[in-house]
Formats: sequence, C-alpha cells, structure tokens
Amino acid sequence: MFDLLLWVWIILGGILIGAGVHFIPVGGAPAAMSQATGVGTGTTMLAAASGLTGLIGAGTAYYTHPGDFAYTIVLGGLSAALMISVLGFIANVMYVYGAGVPLASAKVKYDPISKWRQDLYVSRGTEGHGTPMASFISGIIGAFLAGAGGALVYFALVETYKAIPGFSATFGGYPAPYYVSLAAAFAIGIFFLNCVMASYNIGGTIEGFHDPKFKRIPKSIAASLVVSAVGGLFALLISVMLPGGI
Amino acid sequence: MVIGVIGALVGIYLANYLNSATGTAWFSFIAALGAILAVYYGADAVRRVASYGLGTGVPSIAMLSIGAGQIAVLLGLAVAKNYGVEVAGPVIVLILAAIIGLVNGVMARRVIKMSITVLEMSMTEIAMAASLLILGFSTAIAGSFKFNPIMSYVVASGFIIAVFIVGGMAMFHPFNACLGPDERQTRTLHLALATGFIAMLVAGIAAGAINGVQAAVPTLIVAIAGWVIYYLRFYADTKQDAAAMLSTGLIPLEEEVA
Repeated sequence: MFDLLLWVWIILGGILIGAGVHFIPVGGAPAAMSQATGVGTGTTMLAAASGLTGLIGAGTAYYTHPGDFAYTIVLGGLSAALMISVLGFIANVMYVYGAGVPLASAKVKYDPISKWRQDLYVSRGTEGHGTPMASFISGIIGAFLAGAGGALVYFALVETYKAIPGFSATFGGYPAPYYVSLAAAFAIGIFFLNCVMASYNIGGTIEGFHDPKFKRIPKSIAASLVVSAVGGLFALLISVMLPGGI
Repeated sequence: MVIGVIGALVGIYLANYLNSATGTAWFSFIAALGAILAVYYGADAVRRVASYGLGTGVPSIAMLSIGAGQIAVLLGLAVAKNYGVEVAGPVIVLILAAIIGLVNGVMARRVIKMSITVLEMSMTEIAMAASLLILGFSTAIAGSFKFNPIMSYVVASGFIIAVFIVGGMAMFHPFNACLGPDERQTRTLHLALATGFIAMLVAGIAAGAINGVQAAVPTLIVAIAGWVIYYLRFYADTKQDAAAMLSTGLIPLEEEVA
C-alpha cells in the first residue's frame, strides 16, 4: 500500500492549518471598515492564504533540497509568518495613518503582551481597530503553524508521487515535473477542506489566543482530523491506483 | 439536480467520444457546456443552503466543495484507469465527490454543530456539482477525460488551478452578488449562467494553448455569445426587480450645495 507515516503527516498538516487559523486575528468585513480588531478579511481566505504561502515556501525548499523534511517544514512556516506580518503591518499603517484610528482591542482591558490600555481607545459603537500587539504576535504564531501544516501536506504528497513511474516527466518547457503539479493540486484541495471547517468553527471573527472563542479549538481539531484523513486517503490512493505510472 | 448531473455527464461523454471519433478537437466545447450545466446546479444548491445563513459568508461553502471536487476528479480518473474502466471515469468521480461531500457535511453538522438542517445533503450536492464542473472544463481543455491527457495537459500545465478558482467563483458569485431580501431564483440563475460562460472563456483560452485553433474557436465563440445573452437577461431582470433606477450624477462639491 502506501506509507502510513505520510498519511499521518497529511492529517497532522490539516490539523495544523485548522488550528493555526484560530491564532490569527480574523476581523472579517467589520475589520475592513475599522470596526473590529484583526485583519480585514474572512477566516477561510486567511487560512487558505497561510496554507498556500506555506505550500509555495515548501515548494521552493523541496526544489532546492529534495527530501529534506526539517528545511521544508520550517521554510513553509516562515513564509506564511512573513506573509501575515507584512499583511498585518501594512494594514495597521493604513488604519493609523489612513483611517486615523488607534490600534485597540475591545475584548480586553490591558493588552496581554504590551500591557497597554485598550478600552479607552476603542471608538464608541465599534469592537476595536487594527491589529494590536497581542493579536499581531498571535497572528505570527498562527500563520507559522498553518504554513508548517501546508508544508507538511505538500511534503507527504510529493514524497508519495515521486515514486510513481513516469511522473518525473515535465510538461513542455516547464521545469516542474508532474509530481509537483499533482501534489500542489491535491494540497490545495486539502487546504480548502480544512480552512472552511475552521471557518465554520470560528463563525465570523476571532482576535487571537486571548479571545474567548479560542477555547473552541478542540472541535476544529476533531473535524480537521476526519476531513484530512479522508482527503489524505484519497490523495495517497492515487499512488496505489497508478502502479504502472502514466 | 437532474439537469445538472445528467446534462454535465452527457456533455463530457459527447465531447470525449466525438473528439476521439473524428481525431480532432472541434467538439471540446460540448464538455464546457456540460460544465456550465453543473455550474447551474451548483449555484442553485449554494443558494438553497446559504439562504439559511452560514455565518461565515457564501464563498466558503463553494470553495470547500470545489476543493473536495478536485480531489474526487483526480482520484476517480486514476481509479478508472487502474481497473480498466476508463469509460466509467466520470461516474466514479461523481460517486467519490458525493462521499467527500457527505463526510464534510457530517463533520460540519455533528462536530462543529452548525445548525442547518439540510447541510449534509447540500454539501453532497455542491461537491458533486463541483466535481462535474472541474471535469467538464478539464475535458474541454484536454480534449478527453482519460487520466493521461488530463494529467499531462491540465494538471501538469497548471490550468487545473485556473479551473479551480474560476469554477469556484462561478458557483458562489451569483448568490453572493444577489443576496438580500428581494433575491429571486431566476435572476440568480441567469447570473450563474453568465458567470459560467466567463469560466468557459477561461477554459477556451487554455484549450487554445493545448489543442490550438480547433478547440479554442468554438469554445470562445460559444462562451462570448452565451455571456452576452445571459448577462443581458440578468440586467433586464435587475431592472425589473429594482424599485427604481435613477441617474443621480456625481456627488456635489461642498461649494456647490447652496
């Protein structure tokens, strides 16, 4: 059959994507209007973005150091963490200098990391603005986890598909062999399964690890486990179904 | 549901066998038309479940299902190739998509405790529609639905990602754009068909890169004609449903307001 350890990597990767997004400060549409704390986009897209950036980082890492597990995972996680810090920072600059609002959270009185006062700076009628310190740090942690999860899924798939005969062929003049494209296509499918499960669990917005909604993370882990197991099983069965290659 | 599933399957099978019978790629556009029927079905299913209020937005359920559909397409075609029943490929794809969709629905309903009664059935339906959508556009690009051409021409070239995104958008955009208290099924579905023809346009450009003029010209002509027809119908529906359409001009400057 296929290597069961790779199936475990896919399940673990899926769980990390789903769990990692609980750390990222998701603001949704209200944050885009400076009326809630967090990055101004939805959970699904932030989780997918972190996972996909992790996938791109892992792809680069695997291309330059094939078979190196630690390098691939760490580079995937760092790519996603870099992405979310740039995203949060530029958004904060726009909130402070463009919209003219201070960065504040409405859910806590003192920021857990910077210990700065929060509630005085929240505009009346809103739930906070931008991404203050604790949310930002939480976002970096979450994106690193989600990116590492994405890299894990990609690593497991690419290790499986490399062994199929004929998959080292390339399409026309492109340098990437078939197994890279197939692994990326499957990885994207598995990412979206986990991202949307996490999105349903969060149900709108979350500010990071200090938000009360963070306690819902076990349900997301359970759901991600099952959908990643099924998705991963389907992905790995391809190598079983193609013993003779292409 | 019947139109979507049967229509899409008919389109995919016709395109494949007409192409292989004539040895050309002139008939690839029929598979794209089948995929548009799958868009019609998928957008209608998204409309039914999103009316309950998902809490996270309409795009999420469509992207979930198109991810599930993509996994089902690739595994289904590989299973068909392994057991020597390539002719049953699309049907196997449909069954696998239904399985993944059902697992997603059960997880969302029982573990995450989303309180939408039709969630399992809807997720199964949208996943089936999504898989037929991807398979239809991939067949239009590659010229046949056997695993080898789809792998070589659609996945390895990266066009499957374009089909993934534009197909997902074709499913969620109609309801996302039309939602509100005055949403009407006919208007939403006209927009669904219009967006499906845009997706067919994308597939036509990709088909042109793979199979040249034979695949691109019919696909692009039908896509542009279909888009114009259905977008004009959507515009007429909007004018009919709107309370009034006014032309207010530009917002006046402060000095101009007396």
